[in-house]
Amino acid sequence: MKKTSLVFSLVREQTNFMTVVISVLTFLSVLAFGIALAVGGGVIRWNNQWEKYATVQIINQDNAKTIQKIFETNSDKIESVVEISKPEMEQRLKPWISSGTKINDYLPQMFEIKLKKSSDMQFMKNEISTRAKFLTHTSAIKSSMSAGWKLVGITTFVLIIMLISIGLCISYISRNIAMLHKHELEILNQVGATDKFIIHQMQIIVGKISAIATLVGFVIAIPVILLILTTAHSARVGLMATLSLTGFDWLMLIILPILILMFSVYITKKTTLKILSEK
Amino acid sequence: MMKTVMETETVISFANVSTNYDNGHDILTDVSFNIGAGSFYFLTGPSGAGKTTLLRLIYQLHKPTKGQIKLFGQDCDNISRNDISILRHKMAIVFQEYSLISHMTVFDNVALPMRVRGLPNDKIKKIVTKTLEWVGLGKYANAYPVELSGGQQQRVSVARAIIIQPAILLADEPTGNLDDDNASRLMELFVQMNKAFGTTIILATHNKKLLETYKFPVISIDNRHVSFSGANGDKKTETSRKWKGPQPQSSNYFSEISKQFENIGNS
Repeated sequence: MKKTSLVFSLVREQTNFMTVVISVLTFLSVLAFGIALAVGGGVIRWNNQWEKYATVQIINQDNAKTIQKIFETNSDKIESVVEISKPEMEQRLKPWISSGTKINDYLPQMFEIKLKKSSDMQFMKNEISTRAKFLTHTSAIKSSMSAGWKLVGITTFVLIIMLISIGLCISYISRNIAMLHKHELEILNQVGATDKFIIHQMQIIVGKISAIATLVGFVIAIPVILLILTTAHSARVGLMATLSLTGFDWLMLIILPILILMFSVYITKKTTLKILSEK
Repeated sequence: MMKTVMETETVISFANVSTNYDNGHDILTDVSFNIGAGSFYFLTGPSGAGKTTLLRLIYQLHKPTKGQIKLFGQDCDNISRNDISILRHKMAIVFQEYSLISHMTVFDNVALPMRVRGLPNDKIKKIVTKTLEWVGLGKYANAYPVELSGGQQQRVSVARAIIIQPAILLADEPTGNLDDDNASRLMELFVQMNKAFGTTIILATHNKKLLETYKFPVISIDNRHVSFSGANGDKKTETSRKWKGPQPQSSNYFSEISKQFENIGNS
């Protein structure tokens, strides 16, 4: 004899359709969340990587000695000072300069400095900026950082849309099951079934569908996320190269389908309760 | 937990009850009566007069537009859905069209009232198996309703209703799809339940033979109003035997009624 007998039956086509829809939505949710975590983490790591760096450009050579003195005076704050040689600068600018132009005379003396603490950046800027150009690397990559955070915002928005879609979809499924089984609902009422019993029956059905669907969606999303990260790393430099997922990020990704499953069961309860009170 | 003895002798009380269809057309107007524990009534009236609606009102499947309904002394105005479910644990209803769930086996259909009460599976298995054997459907436990004859399906429906040993049994033309012989046997079962266990029964029927054979009081519905007639009919109050309550451990209940089930609807 069967241990538990469900009052509501679903034909295979209905179950398959619902499983596919929830799988796709879970896949997109995990993908969006994975990208949001990778880009968000990348932006933070990239910013941390450059927040101690600045470039000093001495346009007026009369200030060169004063700047050197500032470096020496604040050696406790500075980890390293590297002068970028003129040939090196010339090499870097070559693609944008027409041949035959003698740019050597116009190039400033440049230093790349790395501070011990990023909190000293403003102090150093105040010391140097009256005599030379002081450019922080953070300000230089500001637009890339901004683009990164926008990307996080967009993927988070997509994730929210997916979760709303899952909620609507589950609500529709519950409503559909109830409509298809009006006769069974009537019989359950007749035999004294409480709302709790009916809701539990619906939750078993939707729970089973959601459990399979979220697992399928998650399993398909993982290799796609890994492929995206591998492709991003192939850029070698820039924000793209810093995209990766930490152990905590992977844990969050695993939790997401579980939350979707719990969300589905909760939405089923709310929808069924609403349907029953409409009767 | 169900009470083993009625706390009040009047189990159904209608006071100035009116109700209508969704389109606003009146079905019953200003209906008042009391039905005592252990009584047996026939419910008659022309088709569409409101017999099913009256049973649905008692069973809280339909709400009155006016008036007050009391069941077991409890006012059903603004009663919560959960309290209605609890009230239905002491009542059962049988319809002419059986109301069985087609994708569930005979066993599961009969077990349903016990499952919704959260009884343990081993207990359900024991009682359902026994009940099915008693109603002569033991070998059909794993069959589906569609595989059974009309009479057999009605027996499943009745088995599902009596398995909880209800204080009130409402039957909406239960013999409508049965031949005279099977109708008579089913009636004997209801009479036995009423006599032996004090189950209050209201049985809607068109069958004049039944009305003539069994001299039970009759509730007639005509032109939206209810009238009482017959030996014990009393519009004001009707009291008699006390309901003896469910006794699942006792084999007496089923052994008594099982005698009435033999050969019903085997055709």
